[in-house]
Order: sequence, then C-alpha cells, then structure tokens
Amino acid sequence: MKKIITLSIITSSLILAGAYKVPEQSLNSMALGAAYVANTQGADTAYFNPANMAFMPSSQYMEAGFTWAHLPKNTFKGFQAYSATEIYPATNESEVENLQLPFLHYVSNPIDKFRWGASLTVPGGLTKRWTDGHQKVFAEEFTLKILELNPVASYKVSDNFAIGGGLRLIYSEGIVNSDGGAIKPIKREMQGDTIEFGYNLALSYRPIKDVSLSVTYHSNIDLKEEGEANLYLSNVGKQYDTSVTVPLPAALNLSASKTFMDKYTLEVNYERTYWSAYKELDFNYGSDIQPALRDSFDKSKPRKWKDTHTFRVGVSAEVTKGVTLMAGYAKDESPVQKKYLSYELPDADANIYSAGIRVQSNKNLSWGLAYLHDEKDDITLKAGENITGISGTFSNGGADLIALSMQYEF
Amino acid sequence: MKRQTRAMALSIPLLLVMGCGELDQPKNEEVKGGKVVVNFSAPLMKKTLMSKGVVDENRTVFGYKAFKIPYITTDESGDEVEASGLFVIPIGLPPKLNQIGLSMVSDDHGTIFSNNDAPSVIGENNGTPDGSAIILTSIGGFATLQADYIGFGDSNDHYHPFVQKESLANATIDFIKTVKIFASDNGIKLNNQLFITGYSEGGYAAMATLQKIEEERELNVTMATPMAGPYDLNITAFGVLSAPTLSVPSFMAYVGYAYATTYNKELSSIINEPYASKLPTLLDGSLARPDIDKELTQTTTGTEGLFNPLLVQDFFKNSNNWFREAMVENSVHAWSPQTPIRLVHCQGDDVIPFEISQLTEGTMKAMNAKDVSIVPVEVALGLDTNVTHSECGVMAYKVTTEIFSKAREAMIKQALIEQMSRE
Repeated sequence: MKKIITLSIITSSLILAGAYKVPEQSLNSMALGAAYVANTQGADTAYFNPANMAFMPSSQYMEAGFTWAHLPKNTFKGFQAYSATEIYPATNESEVENLQLPFLHYVSNPIDKFRWGASLTVPGGLTKRWTDGHQKVFAEEFTLKILELNPVASYKVSDNFAIGGGLRLIYSEGIVNSDGGAIKPIKREMQGDTIEFGYNLALSYRPIKDVSLSVTYHSNIDLKEEGEANLYLSNVGKQYDTSVTVPLPAALNLSASKTFMDKYTLEVNYERTYWSAYKELDFNYGSDIQPALRDSFDKSKPRKWKDTHTFRVGVSAEVTKGVTLMAGYAKDESPVQKKYLSYELPDADANIYSAGIRVQSNKNLSWGLAYLHDEKDDITLKAGENITGISGTFSNGGADLIALSMQYEF
Repeated sequence: MKRQTRAMALSIPLLLVMGCGELDQPKNEEVKGGKVVVNFSAPLMKKTLMSKGVVDENRTVFGYKAFKIPYITTDESGDEVEASGLFVIPIGLPPKLNQIGLSMVSDDHGTIFSNNDAPSVIGENNGTPDGSAIILTSIGGFATLQADYIGFGDSNDHYHPFVQKESLANATIDFIKTVKIFASDNGIKLNNQLFITGYSEGGYAAMATLQKIEEERELNVTMATPMAGPYDLNITAFGVLSAPTLSVPSFMAYVGYAYATTYNKELSSIINEPYASKLPTLLDGSLARPDIDKELTQTTTGTEGLFNPLLVQDFFKNSNNWFREAMVENSVHAWSPQTPIRLVHCQGDDVIPFEISQLTEGTMKAMNAKDVSIVPVEVALGLDTNVTHSECGVMAYKVTTEIFSKAREAMIKQALIEQMSRE
C-alpha cells in the first residue's frame, strides 16, 4: 500500500542549530537568533516561555507564519574505507534542500491568574540526501520530520513571578534509505512514524522594571519510529516490521533581558541541550533479517553524542513608531563527535547570524520578515579517526532561512 | 469565546494532513509460478567465491539465480501435500550455450532436521547462494533442482518421511515436472539432459527417484550419481542396531520416528521412553541436529538405550518383523537400472560405509543393470588419505559435477555439429 500523504507539505525537514533541533519557531525568534526567551511578548510566548503569558496585557494573540529554508550542497572531499584494504576516493556533494516550515501560535485572554495558549511548530528534523557515490551506501536519504502541538498554561504567582508549562504532543515520521548500488549489493528502504508525548516547564521572574529572567525546560522525547523496511540483497527484497528510536533531546534555557528607554532590548540566552540521550542508531526488526545484511542494517551504530552549550544574544530596537529592527548572533556547538560522525548528519559547530523587521500596521495587526544565516565550520576527519571509515573534510554545511509572519491581537 | 474557537480552528487543517500508510512491498522481479529468492550476478558470485578462496581469478564463474517454487506432491499414504523446492540457474552463460539450453541436475539434499536448513528456506531467509548448488550451478553451469522434501519448506507442518523411498521419489519427480513447466513459463531454456544426484539421504533419495522414473517412464534421465546413500536399509539397520553405541543418535531416532508414523506403530514400541515422548517435539523442524543429539542417548538399545530391546531382539530373529520388512521394502539397491549410474562414495565414510555402494553395485550388476560402477572420491581426486562422511560431501559434488560436465560436453559437441551442418 502506498503511503497516503505525509507531512511533506507542512513539515519538511531541516538541519539547523545543533544537529536536528530547530529552535527558531517564530518571526522574533528567528530575527533574534533564538535568544528570544526572557522577553517574549507575542503569541509565540506560548512556545518559548509560557510563564511569560501571565505578564502579557489582556488580549488574545495569534501568530502564523512560514519559514523558507535553503540548505546548500554539503561537500565532502576525501575517502571511504570499508576495511584496511578497501579504501576508495569518495569526494561528493549532497543534494540541495529547499523546504517550507510552518508555525502557528496562540495565547488566550487571562482567566483570573491563569492563561492558556498553544503552538503548532516543527521543533526539529533533518534531511540529508546523497544520490550517488559511497555516501549513498550509508545515507541515500535520511529524513526525520517532527510536528509538535504544544498546549500550555501559565499561572501568575505574583506581579513579578509566574510559572508555566504544557504538554508536548509530537507526531514524527522517519525515512531511511540507503543503496549500495555498484559498490555493495545491498539496499534499504525504511519509513515509519510515531506519536509521542512530553512536557515543558517555564518560570519567569521580573525583579525590576525592564528586566526579565527566565528558565525554561523542554523534556526529552524518544521518537520511536515504527513502520516497515524493505531490505534488498542483490536486487531481491523482503519486507520487515521495523522500528528505530532517536531522541528529541531535553533542553534547559537560562535567559535574561533588559529593555532600555522603552525602545531597545538586549536579550541573552544560554541553552544546554542534552544530546547525550542519543547513544546509538539501532534498527530493530520483527524477525531475523538475512545474515548478509546484518552488519549493515541490523548492527547497532554507536552515535554517543555529547551534551551541547549554545550561547545567544539578540538586540531589538523600535526605530520609529511601529517599526522594530532586530538582530541576533548565536554560537552553536555540535553534539556530533568526529569518531561517530556519519553521512546522515555531518554536523559541525556553527556561527548563526540573524536580522529581522517587524512592522505594526495598525492596532491589531503586525507583520514581519526575518533572515538567518547558519555558517557551519568545516570538519576534517583524519584517517582511522572515524568508525564508519570516513576520512576527509566536510564543508559548505549550513543553511539560509527566511521567515514571514503575521501577528494579530484581538 | 467564539473568537477563540475560530482561532484554534485554523490549526485543524494542518492536523488533518497528518497520516501515514504502509511502505510498498519490495520491487522484486516477477516470475510465474514462484519467486526469486537469490540473484547474484556473475561478477558478484566470482568476488564472493574468490573472497572465500573457492576459486581463483582465472576460473569462469556464473551468476546464481534461485527461485522458490511451490508444487503439489504426494506422501507415503498417497495424500496430496503442498511442497516447495529451490530451482537455481546460472547467469551469464555464453550465448551458444544459452541457445542449447541448460542441463538440469536434480540434487536431493542430505539429512536435515531444522526447517531452516531446507534449500528454499535457506534461499529465502539468507538471500545468498548456498551449498551444492554453488558447485553445480555457478561453477558447473547446470540448472540445479533441490526439492525441500515433504516435511520441510512449505510442508513443514507434515512429518518428514525420513529415508522412505516413495515420498522422497514423489517429492523429487513432481518437482522436476513442475520446474519444467516453470522454466517454460518464464523463458528459461532447458535442454533434454536430466542428471540425478544427491548426498547421504539425498543419495538414497536420488536412487529412489531414478527407480521410480524408470518404472513410470515419463522422464528420461541422462545419468545418475547417487552419493554415499544407505541404499540397502536392511543391511544398514543390522549394522547400526548390532553396534553398542550410536555415533549420531538423532539419525536413528529420526528413522524410528518416521517409520513408526508411516507404518502406524506406537513410537514407544520402537523408541524407549523418555525419548519416545520427546521425539515429536525434537523433530518438529525447529531444532538442528546438535540440539537433538544432546537430548538422546548414544546407547543403542537395552532398558537405558534408544531402541526398545524387544523390537531389536525381534528384528534380528524374525524375518517378518514389521520394521525389518519396512527396511527391505524401502531399500533401493536391488533392481536393474537402465540409466548409467556412478556410485560416488568416499572410501573413508564413517557413517554410510563404502561397502554399501559396493554391495549396491554388485547387486545391480547381478540383476543385469546396464551401466553401474563405483567412483571412489579419494581415487577420483587423487587424495592420499581417506575422507569421512561429513568431509566428503563437497568433494563428492566436485566429482559429480565433473562427471556430468563430461556428459554435457559430449551433448554440446554433438549439438554444435548438428547446428553447423544445418547452417
């Protein structure tokens, strides 16, 4: 039976900002390089810091937008070793990806000290396609699509202290294809999906006017993609029930903001992402697979990612009445260790630069545009350094994103 | 509140597009009457065999394409059984050989206990070339036919009638007939040559098959090379039951279980307890030989032995003993074959003595067989030392492939001469 419809329309996949987690989920967030946590003000408060909903003026808020992402070719120059004597030139380029990601946020009117909101976002995902060469043996396509519905609530404990939290409802799809082609007579087609649950917590403290301090936490969610896999040996395939689990890791954000002269705001953010939850990539099958395929498709592949630190700073300025300019910078650490790096995600440390504009058209409506450039460092693997047998340099990783959004207050 | 409801409704269309079906089934080559389970090209096959040291760079190696084919056969009771087998063809033959068509070798497999060891099951589960078909097909260039036998493959729910000539012959002959239709339906060109072989139980099955083919006269066999089979079951049983211990108790337990089932006898009248109660489970096709052997005793008979002493005593004394009669009835050494037969056997065989083949050759010649002779494997390969039953298998197949190749070569030369004269 053909897969009926997938999330490709609304949740195409993206590699950005530390492996496959995507923190930028609104206009302000993208324009401020995801430093936007302590000083959230619009409907996206529901997602980034639900505790702050308690401090928002009485009204309803909504934001809807799209992000267009362009992922350039990832270039690899080097060699692939299958054994000590089987070493082949493997210089190659991955496919360009052009993707569209939606986001939708809503914050309700307060009900006494309570308030609720909800967000529909794409909090993570990745796609990497190598259509030929040795890379195709490992990752012809590796796609993880994630869609999150996040209903949240806040409680105003006092005039300067609030707490919030919510439920994370995750729908995810995974596609894993690899094809040995003329190199190895093996091929895999796998797709699966899952619905998982998690939670998020937030607290916000405003010790003095114009200063906000926040702590937010998103729980780890193991995405157990369950579906089918077609495994081929020399053009003869069999189908197996299969599952594979990858984590959407927990993340702790410590944030602060200071507003000057009611016009200028400085925001800083530190994020600790607990990527160490991703220990291995281990496909499980409903029955024994063919012995000749076990090494390639059944043997657990260690990933052993490490927890990461990300530092972000964002500034915004209301330059004229109703027009706000924003800019951001982030230093993003990759969780991937060289020893365990693989073609499906040759991630590296990155510098992220962003800018944006928000225009208040009238009392209720505003709109904006944001741009973000993710500049990945080159990453070089020396011979013998990597367990997959990769030696060489990955370069040109990164992404360019443009977000267009509309906010409505009523 | 109304406005809130409207706002949230905006998210509903997004949720509606979620949903997921199933992955399409693998896109395998479609064939009529079976399915492809292994498909190794000639270069891949050569690379594989070279990596294992089986061939060198200069050796011609053909690809290996195997089909699992279901078919209907009949058991010892005459009841229809849905069975299966493996049909293996060489890929990458020279065009002139393709024009002449493939010579068929019906290769009956040796004793197996686990269903996972049946030819079509190995092919389907592993997806890789296996066993004697590699020698016969990828090195020899023959089309190899391997019936799973009743009790294995698609008929795994049926007991296996171990060393019982009627069902083994039926399973093999019906598979040969089915493969001919399959080949015709799928554009696989076969020539008129049909060779029959098999090792150990397969050697016995090959002989039973040849005997039945000659009785029925529906198929023509070019040559048969039964290898190391217990053709005279009565003599074999006398030898085994008179020995104090059984080197491989599972073999004789298998005989006892299969014959008790076919001949409607209480299993405990042949096999002592607690073994009799264990055998239906031990022999259900889920276990391999080592796991079965450790559940049995190596003592042949007596109160602590495997075989019921009452049966054994009666077997030796009474020529009308049912088990003895069954052994005689199922022996395949005493008839007069008109097809050339080469009895391939290792002189050092420690399970099926070489003398069984000598006895068979002598008996058949005495009964006016047309062309029967023994081929000692050690002599054919110029070996200095004798070879045991388990080590002999691969060598015996090499000898058989050589014998069949010579017979095919003569046919090919004749066909090419006829072709040239027509041109």
